[in-house]
Amino acid sequence: MDYILHLAILVAIYTILSQSLSIVAGYSGQLSLAHAGFYGIGAYTTALLSVNFGLSVFFTLPLAMLLSGIIAFIVSKIAVKTVDDYYIIITLGIQVVIFSILNNWQEVTRGPLGIPAIPSIKIFGFAFDSKLSFLVLSVFIVAIIWYLINNLVKSPFGRVLKALSEDEIFTKSLGKNVYQAKIVSFTISGMLASVAGVLYAHYISYIDPTSFTIDESIFILSIVIIGGMRNLKTIFLATVFLVLLPEALRFIGMPSNIAANMRQIIYGIALILVIFQYGNRKNKLKMKRT
Amino acid sequence: MDLIFNIFYYSLLLFLLNKSFQIIYTVNKFFHIAHAITITFGAYFTYLFSILLGFSTLLSIPLAIVASTIINIIIYQIIYNPLENKKTQNWQLLVASLGVYIILQNLVSMCFGDDTKSFRTWKVKGGHQLLETYITDVQIIVIIVSVGLLIFSYLFIEKTNIGKQLKAVSSNPSLSDIFGISTNKAILYSFVLGSALASVAGILIAADMDMTPTMGFNWLLFAVVAMIIGGMGKMRYLFLGTLLLATAQYLSAYYLDSKWMNATAYIILIVFLFFKPYGFSGKKLKKAEL
Repeated sequence: MDYILHLAILVAIYTILSQSLSIVAGYSGQLSLAHAGFYGIGAYTTALLSVNFGLSVFFTLPLAMLLSGIIAFIVSKIAVKTVDDYYIIITLGIQVVIFSILNNWQEVTRGPLGIPAIPSIKIFGFAFDSKLSFLVLSVFIVAIIWYLINNLVKSPFGRVLKALSEDEIFTKSLGKNVYQAKIVSFTISGMLASVAGVLYAHYISYIDPTSFTIDESIFILSIVIIGGMRNLKTIFLATVFLVLLPEALRFIGMPSNIAANMRQIIYGIALILVIFQYGNRKNKLKMKRT
Repeated sequence: MDLIFNIFYYSLLLFLLNKSFQIIYTVNKFFHIAHAITITFGAYFTYLFSILLGFSTLLSIPLAIVASTIINIIIYQIIYNPLENKKTQNWQLLVASLGVYIILQNLVSMCFGDDTKSFRTWKVKGGHQLLETYITDVQIIVIIVSVGLLIFSYLFIEKTNIGKQLKAVSSNPSLSDIFGISTNKAILYSFVLGSALASVAGILIAADMDMTPTMGFNWLLFAVVAMIIGGMGKMRYLFLGTLLLATAQYLSAYYLDSKWMNATAYIILIVFLFFKPYGFSGKKLKKAEL
């Protein structure tokens, strides 16, 4: 039972990550590979503040969101100058830079040793240290974020994002500020990713840089691509599928050394199949009249 | 003196990779991430033929080059060609090639294991002393082979008929179609040439250093960074780009620590994209806009 709860919490964390990436990758059409970096910034900020200064999550969560928001803002200022392939390479570069700072700045982040003994979340004297209570908390946060993103993409701003992902120059000609829209969407997405990092740090209670590598970024991006880029429900289903996939492979009795590779191969195949599907259908912009 | 030799040596290898990647990139216009696995394949096929099957090294190297080129052609025929006929966008092809990379890289780790391997059967000797620095026999071979291949590829593209076709297709596919140059054939030629060069580079890297299943990815990314720094112009700009990257990486390793080498490469990339988005050559590519 404990194990199922653990998987459910992981699904919740990855749902936050992939849905927040969907704002950037799906709605505004820029494939970002820096998402695990912001996830890591959130986790490290809350871990350092709560271990070293004993701050409660009421302070660490806004601070983590603020910090990764600032970094995402700077990053998008640079990255917005490029499109397509170069955008992916530059976000990948930023991911590598963030990872090497986490891994190599040993005076602050303790490097590869990681940060142990992160306290669990306490709100008004109630500690979320059992798995069930933590699941309730994370489902609550997922619901809030889902609601926020859903409202965001249905707002006029969300329509600007959809339009610019279809045709950037046309959107510009309508008098919309494309650069600002890109920067704002990237910043929001970075801030939401840090929320997932805060949850992860307090749940696992030990973090090290290997949780925030480039592979993690690729994993999150493939969830979004397999989930159909801009459909929050199918992204959630894709998250469930990809997070539970290793467990399913273990369930059918595959040895663990092959299972890790097998899982990656399956999601590689899924990526290719999904791209073939994209080619089949005409990508039409649907907008509901409000 | 040692440092200068290392920078030169490293940038030569990068330049070879860079060239091989660029041949595919200019013709196909998408980032062929699975190019990384061609590098790995070159090394691992040599290992397979020379160590596991017991052929002589001189025989197994050409076999490895042919095998990894054939695999690339197969990938092109069953995945990229149908996708290009469906008029998919560049980023979708990129994601598909990422899927191919993930699948093949995990197949390599499943078949050969994740540990470092080497196909060196010869003894490692002390090396010759030359101008206060030591050069091993392997390094001399690497330098000769890579300089030779670079000159060969330059002459091939500038002088032969196939090379001219490649240039024509890369600058204007529809016009060259009118003049009777088959785009499909040109793309196939570019895949053959690029993959063969990349697998040679992989073999050279593995002959001097060791090999792991993921080695291709890092090397490819540095080559791509060098390509972006150099811009898409003439070969001398590309060489300037690789030289700058190699110098910065080695100086950072020398003065700071070798663990900051990756971060330095990407910081240079970010600075370049911010101030000089078209690289040294200044040739516009419609990838970055100001």
